[in-house]
Amino acid sequence: MSLLIYGLIQSVTLALYAVGFSLVYGVSGIANFSHGAIYILSGYLIWAGLNLFNLPYALSFVIAIFLTSLLGFSLYWLLLYRVRGIPLAELVVTFASGVAILELMTWAGFSGIRYSLPPVVFGSLEFLGISLDYQRLMVLGTGIFLVVGLYLFVHHTKIGLAFRAMAQSERTALSIGIESDWVGSLSMALGSAVSAVSAVAILPLGIMEPTIGYEVLIYALAVAIVGGLESTPGMVAGGFVTGYGQLVTAKLFGPKWMIIVPLLIIILVLAIRPSGIFGKMKELEERV
Amino acid sequence: MKKQIFCVLWVILLISWVGSVTTFAADEIVLGIPTSIYTPFGKENIKAVQLAVEEINSKGGVKVGDKAYKLKVQIADTRGGEPTTPVHDALMAYEKLITEHKPHAIVVGAFRSEVLIAAMDIVAKYKIPHLGTIAQTPKFQAQFQTDPQKYKYLFRVTTDAAIDAMYANAMLDKLKKDFNLNKAYFIYQDTLWAKAFAGLMSKHVKETGWEELGFDGYAAGATDFSPALQKIKEQKAQVIGMVWDVPLGAGIFTKQYASMKVPALLFAGLVPPIGAPQAPKTIGPAVEYSLNLEFPVGSSLPLKKLPKTVEFLENFKKKFGDLPEAPAVNSSAYDSVYILKEAIEKANSLNADDIVAALEKTDYKGVSGRIRFDKNHTAIFGLENPNETGVCVVFQWQKDEKGNLVRVPVFPEFLAEGKVILPPWMK
Repeated sequence: MSLLIYGLIQSVTLALYAVGFSLVYGVSGIANFSHGAIYILSGYLIWAGLNLFNLPYALSFVIAIFLTSLLGFSLYWLLLYRVRGIPLAELVVTFASGVAILELMTWAGFSGIRYSLPPVVFGSLEFLGISLDYQRLMVLGTGIFLVVGLYLFVHHTKIGLAFRAMAQSERTALSIGIESDWVGSLSMALGSAVSAVSAVAILPLGIMEPTIGYEVLIYALAVAIVGGLESTPGMVAGGFVTGYGQLVTAKLFGPKWMIIVPLLIIILVLAIRPSGIFGKMKELEERV
Repeated sequence: MKKQIFCVLWVILLISWVGSVTTFAADEIVLGIPTSIYTPFGKENIKAVQLAVEEINSKGGVKVGDKAYKLKVQIADTRGGEPTTPVHDALMAYEKLITEHKPHAIVVGAFRSEVLIAAMDIVAKYKIPHLGTIAQTPKFQAQFQTDPQKYKYLFRVTTDAAIDAMYANAMLDKLKKDFNLNKAYFIYQDTLWAKAFAGLMSKHVKETGWEELGFDGYAAGATDFSPALQKIKEQKAQVIGMVWDVPLGAGIFTKQYASMKVPALLFAGLVPPIGAPQAPKTIGPAVEYSLNLEFPVGSSLPLKKLPKTVEFLENFKKKFGDLPEAPAVNSSAYDSVYILKEAIEKANSLNADDIVAALEKTDYKGVSGRIRFDKNHTAIFGLENPNETGVCVVFQWQKDEKGNLVRVPVFPEFLAEGKVILPPWMK
């Protein structure tokens, strides 16, 4: 039973790592390799709000969301705009931005034991003989909230519909007056905001280190590749495959092998079905 | 235009070259610190060295003949404490520091044991006295033994995993004797030193009538410990022996241990977020009752019975605003600078071989106890008397009369200021 419950939480955690990445890629085709850096930066922003400015948790959180959104938005207009449409250049730009953010944080000394977020919700409950803290339940809740929220957003709002149009065909979207750069920059802003929401659910479970940014990027890639880079259901499926894969591996072969599971999964999926479980992008080429 | 661009590039190149070649003043002794500078250990070891350097310089420096030399610190980040850094990258940083800054000696040294072992050849090649104070693998001695003449420049001024385990095992014996505990579960970070440390604890419990319920290694970058913690609950382990130094995993483990309400006594061979003075703020009230080994004494906990630990940590706090984060090896870094000073003055020379000969005769009473080196150039530590050897301490987080969480030294007896208290769920 504990395997099921903790596997579920681990899976949702992994899906949360990937949700922002998948959203940006799905809408604008930009593989945002600064995703992990933005995720951990939002954690430090919340920490700064709490500890340096003595702000309440909620306000620190809102400010962090605003600032990370602004960062994603600015990254698009300042850097990506110039190389838009050249996938390799986009990848280099986002990766370099992410490395710059993480290395700056390291250089500024944001590592060590003191950088830790308190739980948003204290306490725990006993469920079928398993102790489960509220913060982990919040991870589950956040996962559900984001998936449902994003579904409603892209199906029932004007901007969301523009996102979908862009995702389906950028040229057709342009022909009906949807400005692709504007939508691309909004997707970067929203993807960054989603990272911040994920961060506030997950980061209080441990302490913060800039290197978490690299780790989150690897997990996000693994989950997105498994499920299909641009697919939200795929991202959830990817999270479950990776999360339960890790726990089953721990059970069968020992915990030290858990860490290689995402990497193995990436290799396997790329070899067998490069589009991922729900991905469509390379489906035609695969058939050919 | 092309000519102008060429000139600008040439000037930039020249400036870069001049900047990279460090010259040191004739009256300076350069101490190189190649370590993982953003880990709590690296960060605090550097501060401890800076404190010692400042004290020595303010008292006139190091005397060689008629001349007094000031100490100067040069730091290089090996990034060895990050799980993703390859050993080779860390070695490059080591060698770069040596070739660019030409230090007279190296202090602190490698963070990760794997880097230390690999760096031994580099240090031997450049013949620089090396006083290591972080990496804990006993493989240092084994490597040293393969060619003592070649590796004579290397000294370990701190404990190693065998000493840490000696203390941990003695503490386990005490728990068994005092409280009749006999079921243990070990979790360790899958790195050289931690595996050696946990392995020695595992061997000890098997030999002394404990039941070992688990011995789980996790990769250094692990982020979920629920499989082991759930097994601990199910199998009703009484003591969790945990050895982990990478802050990220240690932090996650600690919070997960607390949130899963694992009803076992946590004995941290080393789990920095629990042992750190800042733990009640970082981790919360769940740190209460946890036992922590601090190696050696004076690394972060002032001990009433060893006034030098109080003095060092008070000065540290005065200079840097807070006690060291990491509950290990900081006092060794501080002592190493004084040991080096003493050796240079005894040798009356800055020649590496002369300094090494003097270091071999070290007999220094410092913060971490009495430091002498054995035939493997490793500081001698014991369980009995700080006037004879270096010593460590085990402390427990307990509530004081006001309800504040404080660290109470509980072992060994000659340092104890209180007794071990079992958590209410174990009584």
